[in-house]
Amino acid sequence: MLVQLKNISKWVNSGGQKTFLLKDVDLWVHEGDFISIMGPSGSGKSTLLNIIGMLDNFNEGEYTFLEESVHSLKEKHRANLYKQYIGFVFQAYHLIDELTVKENLEMPLLYKKHSSSERKSLVADMLDRFNIVGKKDLFPSQLSGGQQQLVGIARALIASPKLILADEPTGNLNSKQGDEIMEIFTELNKDGVTIIQVTHSEKNAGYGSRIINLLDGKIE
Amino acid sequence: MFKNYVKIAFRNLWRHRGFSLINICGLAIGLTCGFLILLYVGFELSYDRFHSKSNSIYRVVADIKTPTDLMEMSRPSCAVPPHLLKEFPEIISAVRVMNITLDVRNDRVKLKEKNAIAADSSFFNMFDFKLVQGDRSSILKEPFSIVVSQTTAKKYFGNENPIGKTLKIKNEDIDDRSFTVTGLMQDMPKNSHIHADMIISMTTYTQGVLTDLDDYWGTYDPSAYILVHSNTDPKYLESKFPEFLEKNIGESMREDKAYVSLFLEPLKEVYLHSPRGGTISGDMNSIYVFSIIAIFILLIACINFINLTTARSVERAKEVGVRKVIGAQKQQLALQFIGESIIIALLASIVSIVFIVLLLPTFNAISGKIISSSIFVNPAHLGILFFTAFAIGTLAGTYPAFVLSSFKPVHVLKGSFSTGKRGVVLRKGLVITQFTIAIALIIGTIIIYNQMHFMRNQELGFNKDQILVLETNISPAQKELKYNLDNLKGVLSTSLVSSVPGAYNNTAYSLMKNKDGEEQVANLDAFFIDYNFISQFGLDIVAGRSFSRDFATDSTEAMVVNEKTVELLGYSSPQEILGAHFSQWGKNGEVIGVVKDFHFRSLQQNIRPLTMTIAPDRTDLLAVTISAKNIEETLSAIQQKWEVVLPDDPFNFYFLDEAFDLQYRTQERFGNLFLCFAVLAILISCLGLLGLVAYSTLQRKREIGIRKVLGASVTKVVTLLSKEFITLVGIAFIIAAPLAWFIMKYWLEDFAYRIEIQWWMFAIAGISAVLIALVTVSFHAIKASVVNPVKSLRTE
Repeated sequence: MLVQLKNISKWVNSGGQKTFLLKDVDLWVHEGDFISIMGPSGSGKSTLLNIIGMLDNFNEGEYTFLEESVHSLKEKHRANLYKQYIGFVFQAYHLIDELTVKENLEMPLLYKKHSSSERKSLVADMLDRFNIVGKKDLFPSQLSGGQQQLVGIARALIASPKLILADEPTGNLNSKQGDEIMEIFTELNKDGVTIIQVTHSEKNAGYGSRIINLLDGKIE
Repeated sequence: MFKNYVKIAFRNLWRHRGFSLINICGLAIGLTCGFLILLYVGFELSYDRFHSKSNSIYRVVADIKTPTDLMEMSRPSCAVPPHLLKEFPEIISAVRVMNITLDVRNDRVKLKEKNAIAADSSFFNMFDFKLVQGDRSSILKEPFSIVVSQTTAKKYFGNENPIGKTLKIKNEDIDDRSFTVTGLMQDMPKNSHIHADMIISMTTYTQGVLTDLDDYWGTYDPSAYILVHSNTDPKYLESKFPEFLEKNIGESMREDKAYVSLFLEPLKEVYLHSPRGGTISGDMNSIYVFSIIAIFILLIACINFINLTTARSVERAKEVGVRKVIGAQKQQLALQFIGESIIIALLASIVSIVFIVLLLPTFNAISGKIISSSIFVNPAHLGILFFTAFAIGTLAGTYPAFVLSSFKPVHVLKGSFSTGKRGVVLRKGLVITQFTIAIALIIGTIIIYNQMHFMRNQELGFNKDQILVLETNISPAQKELKYNLDNLKGVLSTSLVSSVPGAYNNTAYSLMKNKDGEEQVANLDAFFIDYNFISQFGLDIVAGRSFSRDFATDSTEAMVVNEKTVELLGYSSPQEILGAHFSQWGKNGEVIGVVKDFHFRSLQQNIRPLTMTIAPDRTDLLAVTISAKNIEETLSAIQQKWEVVLPDDPFNFYFLDEAFDLQYRTQERFGNLFLCFAVLAILISCLGLLGLVAYSTLQRKREIGIRKVLGASVTKVVTLLSKEFITLVGIAFIIAAPLAWFIMKYWLEDFAYRIEIQWWMFAIAGISAVLIALVTVSFHAIKASVVNPVKSLRTE
């Protein structure tokens, strides 16, 4: 079991009243799953994803990640955990504008203290795998949205995470580019990477092996 | 990793060239100011420290207490140094240094040398002035020996070796004698309070022209320096002086009712710390003032830096989020941002080196000293500059780094993030601080310039226009020259005087009958004049009469005083002093007239009691009033007459009004430097404001778009954007005004005659600060407000 959520609740206090963002969410994710989270705007999809990614806290419940109780971990340990096992893909790509494609890919490795030769070969592998060798010296602004997202995925993958969290990865792309990205996710999943994506599109959700529907912070 | 940081830092700088420029230039200007002031302060503090024995050298000074006043002299009497040397074994040597003016000539040139001294023979053993030729211990031994500086030697001998050559020299004591050049010295360093172009041997006086000088207990001409054994306690030595004086002059002190006490001043403190002056002296206060200004300007520059960097954090927020999600730790990010700010600071220090190289000549000129010929002369200076830059980079970078690195990725990456509220109070506070300093400096500048203007244009109580002062020597030929000039076309009036206003004048130990009929002892300023002086200088007689040839006794037994003397002696009206007995420098007689007080010294000093007597044997100046027409012609006619009557004397003259204003040179320099720094402070503050406004408008792009869609006009939007910043400048003004008022009031207290601080001085400063800020702000505000709202709203 990779991820185990039990009775997770998160709320904010507004005007003296609790407004629930998530309420009693239970979720199991096994290694090799490809899960799509769906739901209307404001249903708590992104919040759930952020909690799984340990970027956000929750108020109640238990979260176990690879047999570790996340809720009882200190901030620093939690950060180390997600840095080691989780890769993030964003709707707005979030590449660093001042760095080239190659340098963007290299960055996670720098923080993990890989040797220079190791970094070079890993980056080269990634460039190869995503067919973007020719673009390695370009800056993000010189790429199309689809290409940027490709780099975003490559960057998420380069440190070989167990889990990829993708928050509307095709939200800013046209349908053709979106399809390509989903194809890539499917392939990654076949290679054994666990994927959780948030999406609005039925079609994209269909690429996953399981669909979770959220409404007003609860799983339907 | 490090490479990655540097790369991203430079790419960031380049991408936001405008802001990098503002940031780097602001800091560079700050560094340049700070550095120049540091050079200045360092130079001032370095005075007299180059002598290897400077720790064991003391200047001997004297206080003379009379029943009425205490005179704090910068020198003891002539006899003190040789007697000290004789009686105190702890004193290794004693040197007298007397400032003198010499008429020097050889077959090539004749010049008036005002920067000459006479010194005892151990001068070069005590002080480390560098000799090019000659033996340290013997060059000043013989009477009529002279040591010249290299520059001076060039003037008289060209490229020939001056050693052994002769110069004809005369002044009021030396009657046209031949001097042998026994030594050639390097030009004395600028940072020495003893500064001379030529040195004649003191034995010229003691064994040549004034043989009993070593026992002159009543003449206070030369400064005195003693070198003591290194283990001597100066306080203990000082404590033995009363006994020494009692033994030598106890009797005469009681007789004259003038009690002398002697003190020692460490050589290193003479220039900056001695209130007695005597030679070139510095001003510790202006060192404090400029040091504070330097710190303020650096502070303003740092504030800019912090402000711009934190304001830009919006842009960097995404990067922080991404880096954190990807695995960066907080400390790593903080280090990255501090590193970036260090890079900017080091770039700024390189730019500032360029500025310094360009500005150094101007700075030397303004401050009136060769403070540094080049920044590259002293590697330590460069080291200090880089270190300061590094420190500023680290310190100023810490806060922004802390803010940036603490962003939570989940907030930043959602896109809803805005730094709008974060650190706003701090940024506003910093802007207020900057403008407070800048406005205070502007107010200071306005007040300083007004005081200068006031001093230049104040009614001085005498005519100072069109008066030419010829520096003659007392001789029959001098009287002949005056007679010749009286008949010259273009010359309106002449008189022979010992002093003119604004120049040095004697002070004479006098006995005057006061209101109670007692003979009161007083040390009074004295002008020695001729019959024409009072009318030529337009002095008003308020009681009695002026000197007149009609009264035979006027030349020997008459004195004219000013109103302050009347006051000093306790008379209630000028009429009452008429006929009062006086005794001064061997003359006895009566007061015959009172002149209205006039400023015979600068307006920095109160008018003091002044006495005037006829004394043709003391008048070495010839004051000539010339017509305002054809000045050039008249001047050359005067020179022709001079060459005929005084062929051996150098023709030296100055205009009285110019010389009088020269007294304000120090204040003027102070004012100019102050102005420079005030302008820079405003400039840096505005650079910072410019950057802040740019970011604030960027942040409010959407708000502006919405407002425009809803019907706001361009003017409305500009007002909206400007109001906030102008309010800050307003607050700064409110803080700066009382601060500046307080400080400048203190500064003005140095001047006996001063302006009142007026409300309009503050108004001008406030209004100009607001205007400058308004121009700065509206530059961006207008740009932001004319943008088509479709553009700004679409990006959301």
